[in-house]
Amino acid sequence: MKNAKMHLSTETMNIGFVRKVEALSGSSVRRCFQCGKCSAGCPMRSFMEHPPNRIVRFLQLGQYERVLAGRSIWYCASCEICSTRCPNKVDLASIMDALRKLSWDSQGPSKESYVQLANRLFIDNIRTYGRQYEMRLAAVFNVKSGQFLKDLMLGPKLLTKGKLKMFHQKNRNIGEIDKIFSRIEELRRNGEAS
Amino acid sequence: MKNILNYSYYPGCSLHASGKEYDESTRSLFKALKIGLQEVPDWLCCGATPAHNVDELLSLSLCAKNLNLADTVPGDLAVACAACFSRLKTTQHKLKANDSKRKQVEYALDGPLSQGKPVKHLLEILAKDFGLERLAGKVEKPLTGLKVACYYGCLLTRPPEVPELDCCEAPTIMERVIGASGAETVSWSHRLECCGANFTLSRPGVVLKLSGEILTSAKAAGADCIMVACPLCHGNLDIRQKEIEEATGERFGMPVFYMTQLLALAAGVAPGKLGFGSMMVSPLPLLKEKQLL
Repeated sequence: MKNAKMHLSTETMNIGFVRKVEALSGSSVRRCFQCGKCSAGCPMRSFMEHPPNRIVRFLQLGQYERVLAGRSIWYCASCEICSTRCPNKVDLASIMDALRKLSWDSQGPSKESYVQLANRLFIDNIRTYGRQYEMRLAAVFNVKSGQFLKDLMLGPKLLTKGKLKMFHQKNRNIGEIDKIFSRIEELRRNGEAS
Repeated sequence: MKNILNYSYYPGCSLHASGKEYDESTRSLFKALKIGLQEVPDWLCCGATPAHNVDELLSLSLCAKNLNLADTVPGDLAVACAACFSRLKTTQHKLKANDSKRKQVEYALDGPLSQGKPVKHLLEILAKDFGLERLAGKVEKPLTGLKVACYYGCLLTRPPEVPELDCCEAPTIMERVIGASGAETVSWSHRLECCGANFTLSRPGVVLKLSGEILTSAKAAGADCIMVACPLCHGNLDIRQKEIEEATGERFGMPVFYMTQLLALAAGVAPGKLGFGSMMVSPLPLLKEKQLL
């Protein structure tokens, strides 16, 4: 198989999916020529099963299920090294955002859902309070992820340092904030936003 | 006394909680420099990394709402947190370049968007608007002999078209700013590496590894302390430092300062107003040794 010819076409590429990623991210997937510079600089490489350049290659080869089911996209830290150093202007950090959204929308929580769970709780906090409520974020995360003892020793220390607020006030404009969320949901229901 | 410069101010969520010493020291420093800061009323969370990680439209809308609110206060928008700064600038950048996204965000906000008030990180205000010479002129207690490792992390410089703060691969703005206070800056390898960012909540193991490498590098370069301009980097390097020591078996004892704490100390602000007591790794022994207290 080593010398087998590979035929690439819009069909083998699953062009529909690639176009979705390109529309969401505002970056070309097809322009990547596999130099590997993104993976060379990626600080999260050692936590991923596939390095960043291979993620793009999978997309080019139409193997997007492997990308969505894997953990690499959930271990991207959005540090922007890849987008900064790409010699061909592929914005891989934005492509990772698009892939996380598509994974979330299509299959819900995955086996890497800790990261998703944390993101979701963070966003829920904004809708409920307007600003982040760090103590609630950490407490709810621990309960929902079943790690009741995680950072247990850290909480009291942070409290004595005055770094955790016991009570949190809602923004006065919480109604306007909730409306932003509702209007985005409305746009999506009507197919006017992806 | 009249202020020399005036800004609207977006502190961001962390500066009201885990990064409160950044807020305290920023206000103290700016007061000492006679730079006015007026907090934007009713500001909300910028969405930070979690929002754009899963929903770019939401991220852009939350930031656009904040930019609209900032218009109610005069002066360019001063931002302390590197993540808030990056998200607000990214939003301006993306909405300018993309008409269809702009229309979606206008619909989400039910109204027109802000007309692009300049968003500036504190570093930019100090280095460019206020100026390094004037900053050096305000020094009452030079930080002579203090070896500082300036840590930029990710979002102050990347991707380069967004922050427009300094060179993305070899920035010097932090070194120039703290250099004006008389401190010595060290040359080291991990200035621009990622600290593990918001994995601190979901996968702390990531932070222990990445931040551990940063602390190791700063120590190897002979630094007395690390200086940061981001509350998340601070949390990972300071709050998690003890855990990192337990995991690696290496003792760091490396105080992690916000840049405004050191600059305010040099400008003669009383140390009691700089939140040194809130830091997990106490800087007091180091500051006493260097006769800065």
